[in-house]
Amino acid sequence: MSQLMSIVRKELSAHFKSPVAYIILVLTVAIFNIFFYMIIEQDREASLKGVFQAMEFMLVFLVPILTMKIFAEEKAVGTIELLMTSPLTNTQIVLGKYLGVLAFFTIMIGVTLVYAVIVACWGDPDGKVLASGYAGIWIEGAFFLAVGMMTSSWTRNQIVAAITSYAILFVVYFSISFMKYFNGPAEVLVRQLSTWAHLENFVSGVITAGDIVYYSSGIAVCCVVTRMSIENRIKD
Amino acid sequence: MIITRRVTKYFSDTPAVKDVSFEIRPGEIVGFLGQNGAGKTTLMRILTSYFPVSSGTALIAGLDVSKHSLLIRQKIGYLPETPPLYMDMTVKDYLRFAADIRGVSVRQRQVRLDRVLEECQISDVQGKVIGALSKGYKQRVGIAQAIIHEPQILILDEPTSGLDPIQILQVRTLIKGLRQERTVLLSTHILSEIEQIARRVLIIRAGRIIVDALLEDLLKTPGTAPSGGSTLEEVFIRAHQSPGGPL
Repeated sequence: MSQLMSIVRKELSAHFKSPVAYIILVLTVAIFNIFFYMIIEQDREASLKGVFQAMEFMLVFLVPILTMKIFAEEKAVGTIELLMTSPLTNTQIVLGKYLGVLAFFTIMIGVTLVYAVIVACWGDPDGKVLASGYAGIWIEGAFFLAVGMMTSSWTRNQIVAAITSYAILFVVYFSISFMKYFNGPAEVLVRQLSTWAHLENFVSGVITAGDIVYYSSGIAVCCVVTRMSIENRIKD
Repeated sequence: MIITRRVTKYFSDTPAVKDVSFEIRPGEIVGFLGQNGAGKTTLMRILTSYFPVSSGTALIAGLDVSKHSLLIRQKIGYLPETPPLYMDMTVKDYLRFAADIRGVSVRQRQVRLDRVLEECQISDVQGKVIGALSKGYKQRVGIAQAIIHEPQILILDEPTSGLDPIQILQVRTLIKGLRQERTVLLSTHILSEIEQIARRVLIIRAGRIIVDALLEDLLKTPGTAPSGGSTLEEVFIRAHQSPGGPL
């Protein structure tokens, strides 16, 4: 457990040592602020539903930049050998790295809690719906991070990792737009595959077992594939 | 301490290491020689359980690398050819991290840290970011991470590669100091290094061990050295020129 936490701490502090992470943090929060202002100004509602949807859209573009180096950089500079020849299990390595980037993401989302405070000061929002929305955006971000980590474990090139991650996230995010071209079971499949419908439930204040299973199984599959990928290091 | 029996490793259909068998006893310092691509790094990676074997058995301290990799990793200190350094970390933070992932207890960690900083002569740069250090210092930090958990076995893959003569001397002196009570397998292209550090030599060619002998015996074979024996360079060249292998 302490070895796992060492990796988590190292990963989290690595984010704060990198100017890229600060740029991402500041830029993202700045863009979230703009969306928040525009949406609140337009809707005049004590709700963050529109803000959460804008955040989701932003995460599709943001997460691959955050995750591209997780394993790709370790492979490129050879530090993966330090981890893989230390008495750590592959599961500890994958979970340590994942929890490290998830902690950074949680801090980033945590900064936006100020929106809830602002909305609560100027209106009478439904606290449960706000909490549910934040839970939704957090778990969706956690899923996106797992996808990004997985693609990062496939290559030693960070750009390739980011592009592959974009490709997968675009499919899961934008597939809802192509639903009209499908009928019957295919339509249901495309709808279920898309993150849009699942987050919609969360931001409306509805937390269903199906949505939790969707995100958590997505995270689990990505972590397992990442573990398999780092085990298969013949060509590293 | 290290035993390999017919160890073979394939990458796709190509054998990188083929039927390698040798035994290194506790406290032995063994020099590992071979041309680039001969299989030195692959064999070292097998011994550190970074690569699985395709067939054969490798035992470290009596434990099979295929079955007890986590236990074995606690007993081994490994310096890969490119030191595995996080350039944005300070030397102290990096070594603390290396100690943590090797399972060194928090109570022991500071003692070990102070010891390796002193042993590797890097106390003066402990607060510096690794990326800002000279190559010689980086190499010493790499060695420090390999010994921070006080392993019984040290596997060093070309520890002086790419260093200037002064840095080579510093790293070589450091390795000489580490020999006590440790089994060391050291690969290098600098033959004089082997002569100064090792007592026994393994030479690998195209994935097969072609020489496994005491350095003293190898140097006694007839050659052009002033003593009438051979230089290690001659031994190495002869081993690579003769069709069947050595000497």
